[in-house]
Amino acid sequence: MMKLLIISLLLLGMPQAPSPKPQAPRVIRVSAERFAFTPSEIVVEQGTTIEFHLTSDDTDHGFRIIGTDVNAEIPKRRRGETVVKYVADTAGRFVIECSRPCGAGHTAMRATLVVK
Amino acid sequence: MVCLLLAVPAYAQGREGVPTLSGYMETHLNKEQNLPTEADMHRFVFMVGHSFSDRIKFWSEFEVEHAVVTGAGVSGEVGIEQAYVDLMLHRRFNLRAGVVLVPVGIVNERQEPPTFYGVERTFVDTVIVPTTWRDAGVGAFGDLGRGFSYRAYLLPGMDAAGFTAADGIAGGRQQGSRADASDPAVSGRLEYRRRGLTAAGSFWAGGSGFGLIRLDIETPTVTVGSLDARYRRGRHELRGQWVAVNIGGAGDLNRALQLQSGNSPNIASRLLGAYGEVATRVSPERWADEVVAFARYELFDTQNKMPAGFLPIQELQRSAMVIGATYFPDPDVAFKFDVSRERNKSEGIQGPWRLNFGVGWWF
Ligand SMILES: [Cu+2]
Repeated sequence: MMKLLIISLLLLGMPQAPSPKPQAPRVIRVSAERFAFTPSEIVVEQGTTIEFHLTSDDTDHGFRIIGTDVNAEIPKRRRGETVVKYVADTAGRFVIECSRPCGAGHTAMRATLVVK
Repeated sequence: MVCLLLAVPAYAQGREGVPTLSGYMETHLNKEQNLPTEADMHRFVFMVGHSFSDRIKFWSEFEVEHAVVTGAGVSGEVGIEQAYVDLMLHRRFNLRAGVVLVPVGIVNERQEPPTFYGVERTFVDTVIVPTTWRDAGVGAFGDLGRGFSYRAYLLPGMDAAGFTAADGIAGGRQQGSRADASDPAVSGRLEYRRRGLTAAGSFWAGGSGFGLIRLDIETPTVTVGSLDARYRRGRHELRGQWVAVNIGGAGDLNRALQLQSGNSPNIASRLLGAYGEVATRVSPERWADEVVAFARYELFDTQNKMPAGFLPIQELQRSAMVIGATYFPDPDVAFKFDVSRERNKSEGIQGPWRLNFGVGWWF
Protein backbone atom coordinates (compact mmCIF):
# COMPACT_ATOMS: atom_id res chain seq x y z
CA MET A 1 0.00 0.00 0.00
CA MET A 2 2.74 2.40 1.12
CA LYS A 3 4.83 1.32 -1.86
CA LEU A 4 1.98 2.13 -4.24
CA LEU A 5 1.56 5.47 -2.56
CA ILE A 6 5.23 6.26 -2.93
CA ILE A 7 5.38 5.21 -6.56
CA SER A 8 2.36 7.38 -7.28
CA LEU A 9 4.11 10.22 -5.47
CA LEU A 10 6.97 9.60 -7.83
CA LEU A 11 4.71 9.77 -10.86
CA LEU A 12 3.08 12.94 -9.59
CA GLY A 13 6.40 14.39 -8.69
CA MET A 14 8.22 13.76 -11.94
CA PRO A 15 6.99 16.70 -14.02
CA GLN A 16 7.72 19.04 -11.14
CA ALA A 17 11.39 18.07 -10.94
CA PRO A 18 13.20 21.42 -10.88
CA SER A 19 16.23 20.75 -13.07
CA PRO A 20 15.55 21.37 -16.76
CA LYS A 21 17.96 18.72 -18.08
CA PRO A 22 18.02 15.21 -16.65
CA GLN A 23 20.84 14.96 -14.17
CA ALA A 24 22.62 11.80 -13.06
CA PRO A 25 21.60 11.13 -9.46
CA ARG A 26 24.22 11.55 -6.81
CA VAL A 27 24.79 8.22 -5.10
CA ILE A 28 25.25 8.49 -1.35
CA ARG A 29 25.98 5.33 0.62
CA VAL A 30 24.85 5.34 4.23
CA SER A 31 25.51 2.48 6.62
CA ALA A 32 23.49 2.03 9.76
CA GLU A 33 24.64 0.37 12.94
CA ARG A 34 23.39 0.60 16.51
CA PHE A 35 23.22 3.58 17.18
CA ALA A 36 24.53 5.74 14.36
CA PHE A 37 24.43 6.44 10.66
CA THR A 38 27.73 6.76 8.84
CA PRO A 39 28.20 9.40 7.52
CA SER A 40 26.17 11.39 10.02
CA GLU A 41 26.19 14.53 7.90
CA ILE A 42 25.32 14.70 4.20
CA VAL A 43 25.67 17.98 2.28
CA VAL A 44 24.18 18.49 -1.20
CA GLU A 45 23.35 21.41 -3.50
CA GLN A 46 19.70 22.33 -3.83
CA GLY A 47 18.09 20.52 -6.74
CA THR A 48 20.35 17.49 -6.50
CA THR A 49 18.70 14.15 -7.10
CA ILE A 50 20.07 11.91 -4.39
CA GLU A 51 20.11 8.16 -4.62
CA PHE A 52 20.59 6.88 -1.07
CA HIS A 53 21.99 3.36 -0.87
CA LEU A 54 21.23 2.16 2.64
CA THR A 55 22.73 -0.88 4.34
CA SER A 56 22.96 -2.16 7.89
CA ASP A 57 25.81 -3.74 9.80
CA ASP A 58 23.46 -5.37 12.30
CA THR A 59 19.69 -5.36 12.73
CA ASP A 60 17.10 -3.56 10.62
CA HIS A 61 16.90 0.18 11.05
CA GLY A 62 14.66 2.90 9.68
CA PHE A 63 15.66 5.87 7.56
CA ARG A 64 13.22 8.71 7.93
CA ILE A 65 13.92 12.24 6.76
CA ILE A 66 11.76 14.34 9.05
CA GLY A 67 9.52 16.74 7.15
CA THR A 68 9.56 14.66 3.94
CA ASP A 69 7.82 11.52 2.74
CA VAL A 70 10.98 9.47 3.06
CA ASN A 71 10.63 6.68 5.60
CA ALA A 72 12.36 3.49 4.50
CA GLU A 73 13.36 0.28 6.20
CA ILE A 74 17.01 -0.71 6.01
CA PRO A 75 17.27 -4.51 5.88
CA LYS A 76 19.45 -6.48 8.28
CA ARG A 77 23.13 -7.17 7.69
CA ARG A 78 23.86 -8.98 4.40
CA ARG A 79 20.17 -8.89 3.47
CA GLY A 80 20.59 -6.38 0.63
CA GLU A 81 20.26 -2.64 0.43
CA THR A 82 17.45 -0.15 0.23
CA VAL A 83 17.65 2.46 -2.49
CA VAL A 84 15.78 5.70 -1.94
CA LYS A 85 15.64 8.50 -4.50
CA TYR A 86 15.07 11.95 -3.19
CA VAL A 87 15.13 15.28 -4.98
CA ALA A 88 16.55 17.84 -2.62
CA ASP A 89 14.46 20.71 -3.90
CA THR A 90 14.03 22.46 -0.58
CA ALA A 91 17.00 24.17 1.02
CA GLY A 92 17.58 23.71 4.71
CA ARG A 93 18.77 21.28 7.35
CA PHE A 94 16.83 18.05 7.64
CA VAL A 95 17.01 15.61 10.50
CA ILE A 96 17.30 11.95 9.53
CA GLU A 97 16.21 9.58 12.28
CA CYS A 98 16.12 5.84 12.73
CA SER A 99 12.41 5.06 12.64
CA ARG A 100 12.63 1.45 13.74
CA PRO A 101 13.48 0.62 17.38
CA CYS A 102 16.95 -0.92 17.35
CA GLY A 103 18.09 -0.99 20.98
CA ALA A 104 19.38 0.94 23.94
CA GLY A 105 20.49 4.08 22.06
CA HIS A 106 17.79 4.16 19.38
CA THR A 107 16.33 7.56 20.23
CA ALA A 108 19.62 9.31 19.50
CA MET A 109 20.28 7.52 16.21
CA ARG A 110 20.20 10.54 13.91
CA ALA A 111 21.97 12.16 11.00
CA THR A 112 21.67 15.47 9.19
CA LEU A 113 20.95 16.26 5.55
CA VAL A 114 22.04 19.77 4.60
CA VAL A 115 20.61 21.12 1.34
CA LYS A 116 22.46 24.29 0.32
CA MET B 1 9.73 16.04 -3.84
CA VAL B 2 10.31 12.60 -5.25
CA CYS B 3 10.79 9.40 -3.41
CA LEU B 4 11.30 5.92 -4.78
CA LEU B 5 11.95 2.70 -2.99
CA LEU B 6 13.46 -0.06 -5.05
CA ALA B 7 14.79 -2.83 -2.88
CA VAL B 8 12.22 -3.30 -0.14
CA PRO B 9 8.71 -2.08 0.50
CA ALA B 10 8.24 1.20 2.24
CA TYR B 11 8.26 0.98 5.96
CA ALA B 12 6.22 3.01 8.35
CA GLN B 13 6.84 2.72 12.03
CA GLY B 14 3.57 1.93 13.75
CA ARG B 15 1.12 4.78 13.92
CA GLU B 16 1.93 8.22 15.20
CA GLY B 17 1.75 8.26 18.97
CA VAL B 18 1.72 4.48 19.41
CA PRO B 19 4.43 3.17 21.76
CA THR B 20 6.86 0.61 20.37
CA LEU B 21 7.82 -2.67 22.00
CA SER B 22 11.11 -4.45 21.48
CA GLY B 23 13.54 -6.34 23.68
CA TYR B 24 16.16 -8.99 24.07
CA MET B 25 16.55 -12.25 25.93
CA GLU B 26 19.37 -14.66 26.69
CA THR B 27 19.36 -18.15 28.14
CA HIS B 28 22.59 -19.86 29.16
CA LEU B 29 23.97 -23.23 30.13
CA ASN B 30 27.13 -22.69 32.18
CA LYS B 31 29.61 -25.23 33.46
CA GLU B 32 32.39 -23.97 35.68
CA GLN B 33 35.09 -26.32 36.89
CA ASN B 34 34.19 -27.84 40.28
CA LEU B 35 30.71 -26.33 40.25
CA PRO B 36 27.42 -27.92 39.17
CA THR B 37 26.16 -27.26 35.64
CA GLU B 38 23.68 -24.39 35.63
CA ALA B 39 20.86 -23.55 33.24
CA ASP B 40 19.77 -19.96 33.52
CA MET B 41 17.44 -17.53 31.80
CA HIS B 42 19.99 -14.85 32.45
CA ARG B 43 18.17 -11.84 31.07
CA PHE B 44 14.66 -11.11 29.86
CA VAL B 45 14.35 -7.50 28.79
CA PHE B 46 11.48 -5.51 27.36
CA MET B 47 12.12 -2.14 25.80
CA VAL B 48 9.26 0.29 25.48
CA GLY B 49 9.69 3.48 23.51
CA HIS B 50 7.44 6.32 22.59
CA SER B 51 7.76 9.31 20.35
CA PHE B 52 5.80 12.25 21.72
CA SER B 53 6.90 14.25 18.70
CA ASP B 54 9.94 14.55 16.44
CA ARG B 55 11.61 16.45 19.29
CA ILE B 56 10.58 14.49 22.38
CA LYS B 57 11.35 10.78 22.73
CA PHE B 58 10.99 8.31 25.55
CA TRP B 59 12.95 5.07 25.92
CA SER B 60 12.94 2.44 28.62
CA GLU B 61 14.27 -0.98 29.43
CA PHE B 62 12.71 -3.28 31.98
CA GLU B 63 14.70 -6.33 32.97
CA VAL B 64 14.19 -9.59 34.83
CA GLU B 65 17.47 -11.35 35.61
CA HIS B 66 17.65 -15.08 36.40
CA ALA B 67 13.96 -15.70 35.67
CA VAL B 68 12.54 -15.85 39.20
CA VAL B 69 12.44 -13.16 41.83
CA THR B 70 11.41 -14.39 45.26
CA GLY B 71 12.90 -11.75 47.51
CA ALA B 72 14.49 -14.42 49.71
CA GLY B 73 18.01 -15.80 49.45
CA VAL B 74 19.73 -16.12 46.09
CA SER B 75 17.25 -15.23 43.39
CA GLY B 76 16.91 -13.03 40.39
CA GLU B 77 16.27 -9.36 40.21
CA VAL B 78 13.89 -7.04 38.51
CA GLY B 79 15.27 -3.71 37.43
CA ILE B 80 14.78 -0.61 35.37
CA GLU B 81 17.88 -0.47 33.21
CA GLN B 82 16.92 2.69 31.41
CA ALA B 83 13.99 5.07 31.45
CA TYR B 84 14.62 8.51 30.06
CA VAL B 85 13.22 11.31 27.99
CA ASP B 86 15.23 12.97 25.23
CA LEU B 87 14.60 16.56 24.27
CA MET B 88 16.06 17.13 20.82
CA LEU B 89 17.25 20.71 20.58
CA HIS B 90 20.10 20.83 18.11
CA ARG B 91 22.30 18.39 16.29
CA ARG B 92 25.17 19.23 18.63
CA PHE B 93 23.23 19.59 21.86
CA ASN B 94 20.25 17.60 23.12
CA LEU B 95 19.07 16.94 26.64
CA ARG B 96 18.40 13.63 28.36
CA ALA B 97 16.92 13.00 31.82
CA GLY B 98 15.97 9.85 33.69
CA VAL B 99 17.69 6.53 34.32
CA VAL B 100 20.55 6.28 31.83
CA LEU B 101 23.29 3.77 31.02
CA VAL B 102 26.74 4.93 32.12
CA PRO B 103 28.51 5.44 28.75
CA VAL B 104 31.78 3.67 29.72
CA GLY B 105 33.23 0.92 27.51
CA ILE B 106 31.59 -1.00 24.67
CA VAL B 107 29.16 -3.42 26.25
CA ASN B 108 27.38 -1.29 28.84
CA GLU B 109 25.56 0.63 26.11
CA ARG B 110 25.44 -2.25 23.60
CA GLN B 111 23.95 -5.18 25.48
CA GLU B 112 21.80 -6.84 22.84
CA PRO B 113 23.17 -10.43 22.77
CA PRO B 114 23.83 -10.54 18.99
CA THR B 115 26.16 -7.51 19.33
CA PHE B 116 28.91 -9.27 21.29
CA TYR B 117 30.73 -12.58 21.00
CA GLY B 118 30.78 -15.05 23.84
CA VAL B 119 27.88 -16.31 25.90
CA GLU B 120 28.49 -14.01 28.85
CA ARG B 121 29.56 -10.39 28.71
CA THR B 122 33.34 -10.06 28.93
CA PHE B 123 35.07 -10.46 32.31
CA VAL B 124 36.29 -6.87 31.95
CA ASP B 125 32.70 -5.74 31.47
CA THR B 126 31.68 -7.64 34.58
CA VAL B 127 34.27 -7.00 37.29
CA ILE B 128 36.08 -3.85 36.09
CA VAL B 129 33.27 -1.95 34.31
CA PRO B 130 30.26 -3.24 36.25
CA THR B 131 27.56 -3.87 33.63
CA THR B 132 24.71 -3.14 33.67
CA TRP B 133 25.82 0.18 35.12
CA ARG B 134 23.11 2.81 35.19
CA ASP B 135 21.77 5.55 37.38
CA ALA B 136 19.27 8.38 37.48
CA GLY B 137 20.61 11.63 36.15
CA VAL B 138 20.62 14.35 33.54
CA GLY B 139 22.90 15.04 30.64
CA ALA B 140 23.53 16.12 27.11
CA PHE B 141 24.42 14.37 23.87
CA GLY B 142 25.02 15.36 20.30
CA ASP B 143 26.80 14.93 17.01
CA LEU B 144 29.85 17.18 16.69
CA GLY B 145 30.43 16.48 12.99
CA ARG B 146 33.42 14.86 11.23
CA GLY B 147 32.44 11.54 12.82
CA PHE B 148 32.57 12.72 16.44
CA SER B 149 29.71 12.40 18.90
CA TYR B 150 29.43 12.66 22.67
CA ARG B 151 27.34 11.92 25.72
CA ALA B 152 27.85 13.58 29.10
CA TYR B 153 25.84 12.99 32.26
CA LEU B 154 25.60 14.21 35.82
CA LEU B 155 24.82 11.27 38.10
CA PRO B 156 24.86 10.28 41.78
CA GLY B 157 28.18 8.90 43.05
CA MET B 158 28.77 5.39 44.33
CA ASP B 159 28.60 3.88 47.79
CA ALA B 160 32.16 2.86 48.65
CA ALA B 161 30.87 0.63 51.47
CA GLY B 162 29.84 -1.81 48.71
CA PHE B 163 33.30 -2.11 47.10
CA THR B 164 35.06 -5.48 47.31
CA ALA B 165 38.42 -7.01 46.46
CA ALA B 166 36.97 -9.47 43.94
CA ASP B 167 34.28 -7.43 42.20
CA GLY B 168 35.77 -3.97 42.48
CA ILE B 169 33.27 -1.13 42.41
CA ALA B 170 30.29 -3.20 41.22
CA GLY B 171 28.70 -3.36 44.68
CA GLY B 172 28.84 0.43 44.98
CA ARG B 173 26.39 1.10 42.16
CA GLN B 174 23.14 2.69 43.21
CA GLN B 175 21.19 1.84 40.05
CA GLY B 176 18.79 4.75 40.31
CA SER B 177 17.14 3.21 43.37
CA ARG B 178 16.68 5.91 46.02
CA ALA B 179 20.24 6.83 45.14
CA ASP B 180 22.01 9.10 47.58
CA ALA B 181 23.07 12.01 45.40
CA SER B 182 25.07 13.91 48.01
CA ASP B 183 28.30 12.91 46.23
CA PRO B 184 27.80 13.69 42.55
CA ALA B 185 29.62 12.14 39.62
CA VAL B 186 30.16 13.05 35.99
CA SER B 187 30.46 10.57 33.18
CA GLY B 188 31.02 11.03 29.50
CA ARG B 189 32.04 9.46 26.25
CA LEU B 190 33.57 10.93 23.12
CA GLU B 191 33.16 8.62 20.14
CA TYR B 192 34.66 8.72 16.67
CA ARG B 193 33.13 6.82 13.78
CA ARG B 194 33.98 6.25 10.20
CA ARG B 195 33.07 3.36 7.94
CA GLY B 196 34.04 0.17 9.74
CA LEU B 197 35.68 1.89 12.71
CA THR B 198 34.33 3.08 16.05
CA ALA B 199 36.81 4.39 18.63
CA ALA B 200 36.03 6.09 21.90
CA GLY B 201 37.32 7.41 25.17
CA SER B 202 35.05 7.43 28.20
CA PHE B 203 35.19 8.21 31.90
CA TRP B 204 33.29 8.29 35.16
CA ALA B 205 34.48 10.43 38.07
CA GLY B 206 32.83 11.09 41.38
CA GLY B 207 32.76 10.86 45.11
CA SER B 208 31.62 7.74 46.89
CA GLY B 209 31.63 8.58 50.56
CA PHE B 210 28.06 9.12 51.67
CA GLY B 211 27.67 5.52 52.86
CA LEU B 212 30.64 6.11 55.18
CA ILE B 213 29.50 9.30 56.85
CA ARG B 214 29.96 8.01 60.39
CA LEU B 215 33.38 6.56 59.66
CA ASP B 216 35.07 9.95 59.74
CA ILE B 217 37.34 9.50 56.70
CA GLU B 218 37.80 11.63 53.64
CA THR B 219 35.37 10.90 50.84
CA PRO B 220 36.93 8.23 48.61
CA THR B 221 36.99 9.43 45.03
CA VAL B 222 36.61 7.05 42.12
CA THR B 223 37.75 7.70 38.58
CA VAL B 224 37.20 5.29 35.74
CA GLY B 225 38.94 5.89 32.42
CA SER B 226 38.47 3.73 29.37
CA LEU B 227 39.52 3.51 25.72
CA ASP B 228 37.80 1.18 23.29
CA ALA B 229 37.68 0.47 19.59
CA ARG B 230 35.88 -1.78 17.14
CA TYR B 231 36.92 -2.31 13.55
CA ARG B 232 35.19 -4.34 10.89
CA ARG B 233 36.38 -5.12 7.41
CA GLY B 234 34.71 -7.72 5.23
CA ARG B 235 34.33 -10.87 7.27
CA HIS B 236 36.82 -9.84 9.96
CA GLU B 237 36.28 -7.89 13.13
CA LEU B 238 38.65 -6.58 15.79
CA ARG B 239 37.67 -5.26 19.16
CA GLY B 240 39.64 -3.96 22.11
CA GLN B 241 39.14 -2.14 25.35
CA TRP B 242 41.34 -0.82 28.12
CA VAL B 243 40.00 0.45 31.42
CA ALA B 244 41.53 1.61 34.70
CA VAL B 245 39.62 2.30 37.91
CA ASN B 246 41.37 4.44 40.52
CA ILE B 247 40.04 4.55 44.07
CA GLY B 248 41.45 7.48 46.03
CA GLY B 249 41.67 6.92 49.77
CA ALA B 250 41.46 3.11 49.46
CA GLY B 251 43.76 2.62 52.48
CA ASP B 252 41.58 4.71 54.78
CA LEU B 253 38.52 3.02 53.34
CA ASN B 254 39.89 -0.45 54.15
CA ARG B 255 40.83 0.56 57.70
CA ALA B 256 37.46 2.22 58.32
CA LEU B 257 35.49 -0.74 56.98
CA GLN B 258 37.67 -3.08 59.06
CA LEU B 259 36.79 -1.15 62.23
CA GLN B 260 33.15 -1.50 61.32
CA SER B 261 33.02 -5.19 60.32
CA GLY B 262 36.20 -6.73 61.70
CA ASN B 263 37.61 -7.66 58.27
CA SER B 264 39.52 -5.54 55.84
CA PRO B 265 37.83 -5.76 52.42
CA ASN B 266 41.29 -5.31 50.84
CA ILE B 267 40.04 -2.85 48.26
CA ALA B 268 42.73 -1.88 45.76
CA SER B 269 43.68 1.65 44.82
CA ARG B 270 43.74 0.64 41.16
CA LEU B 271 41.84 -1.96 39.12
CA LEU B 272 42.93 -2.71 35.58
CA GLY B 273 41.11 -4.40 32.74
CA ALA B 274 41.87 -4.88 29.07
CA TYR B 275 40.88 -7.20 26.28
CA GLY B 276 41.57 -7.82 22.63
CA GLU B 277 39.32 -9.88 20.41
CA VAL B 278 39.51 -11.16 16.85
CA ALA B 279 36.47 -12.58 15.09
CA THR B 280 35.97 -13.95 11.59
CA ARG B 281 32.89 -15.06 9.72
CA VAL B 282 33.86 -18.57 8.71
CA SER B 283 30.67 -19.51 6.85
CA PRO B 284 30.70 -19.22 3.04
CA GLU B 285 29.75 -15.87 1.52
CA ARG B 286 26.74 -17.40 -0.25
CA TRP B 287 25.12 -18.55 2.99
CA ALA B 288 22.55 -16.23 4.46
CA ASP B 289 23.15 -17.86 7.85
CA GLU B 290 26.43 -16.87 9.46
CA VAL B 291 28.95 -18.68 11.63
CA VAL B 292 31.52 -16.48 13.36
CA ALA B 293 34.52 -17.82 15.27
CA PHE B 294 36.29 -15.63 17.80
CA ALA B 295 39.17 -15.58 20.28
CA ARG B 296 39.64 -13.10 23.09
CA TYR B 297 42.34 -12.48 25.65
CA GLU B 298 41.32 -10.62 28.78
CA LEU B 299 43.14 -9.13 31.70
CA PHE B 300 40.99 -8.34 34.73
CA ASP B 301 42.99 -7.47 37.78
CA THR B 302 40.98 -6.07 40.69
CA GLN B 303 44.12 -5.85 42.87
CA ASN B 304 46.38 -4.10 40.38
CA LYS B 305 47.79 -1.51 42.77
CA MET B 306 47.32 -1.65 46.52
CA PRO B 307 47.30 1.21 49.00
CA ALA B 308 50.33 1.41 51.33
CA GLY B 309 50.22 -1.33 53.95
CA PHE B 310 48.03 -3.74 51.94
CA LEU B 311 49.09 -6.73 49.86
CA PRO B 312 47.26 -7.87 46.74
CA ILE B 313 45.24 -11.08 46.79
CA GLN B 314 47.06 -12.73 43.89
CA GLU B 315 44.18 -15.03 43.07
CA LEU B 316 42.26 -11.91 41.97
CA GLN B 317 44.95 -10.76 39.57
CA ARG B 318 43.28 -12.60 36.75
CA SER B 319 43.45 -13.13 33.02
CA ALA B 320 41.49 -15.40 30.69
CA MET B 321 41.60 -16.83 27.20
CA VAL B 322 38.16 -17.26 25.64
CA ILE B 323 37.49 -18.98 22.33
CA GLY B 324 34.16 -19.79 20.80
CA ALA B 325 31.72 -19.46 17.96
CA THR B 326 28.34 -17.91 17.25
CA TYR B 327 25.79 -19.22 14.77
CA PHE B 328 23.43 -16.54 13.44
CA PRO B 329 20.39 -18.08 11.64
CA ASP B 330 19.31 -14.43 11.50
CA PRO B 331 21.39 -11.36 12.38
CA ASP B 332 19.14 -10.90 15.44
CA VAL B 333 19.36 -14.47 16.75
CA ALA B 334 22.62 -15.84 18.14
CA PHE B 335 23.40 -19.39 19.22
CA LYS B 336 26.63 -19.16 21.15
CA PHE B 337 29.30 -21.45 22.46
CA ASP B 338 32.57 -20.69 24.20
CA VAL B 339 35.22 -22.18 26.41
CA SER B 340 37.44 -20.14 28.68
CA ARG B 341 40.46 -20.72 30.83
CA GLU B 342 41.12 -18.35 33.68
CA ARG B 343 44.59 -17.81 35.10
CA ASN B 344 45.87 -15.78 38.02
CA LYS B 345 49.09 -14.78 39.74
CA SER B 346 48.63 -17.04 42.76
CA GLU B 347 50.96 -20.02 43.13
CA GLY B 348 48.46 -22.25 44.88
CA ILE B 349 45.02 -21.52 43.51
CA GLN B 350 44.30 -22.29 39.86
CA GLY B 351 41.74 -20.35 37.90
CA PRO B 352 38.79 -22.42 36.65
CA TRP B 353 37.88 -23.40 33.11
CA ARG B 354 34.37 -22.74 31.95
CA LEU B 355 32.16 -24.09 29.21
CA ASN B 356 29.19 -21.98 28.14
CA PHE B 357 26.30 -22.46 25.73
CA GLY B 358 23.70 -19.83 25.11
CA VAL B 359 21.01 -18.45 22.88
CA GLY B 360 20.22 -14.77 22.70
CA TRP B 361 17.90 -12.79 20.50
CA TRP B 362 16.70 -9.29 19.84
CA PHE B 363 13.34 -8.28 18.40
CU1 LIG C 1 18.43 2.26 14.47
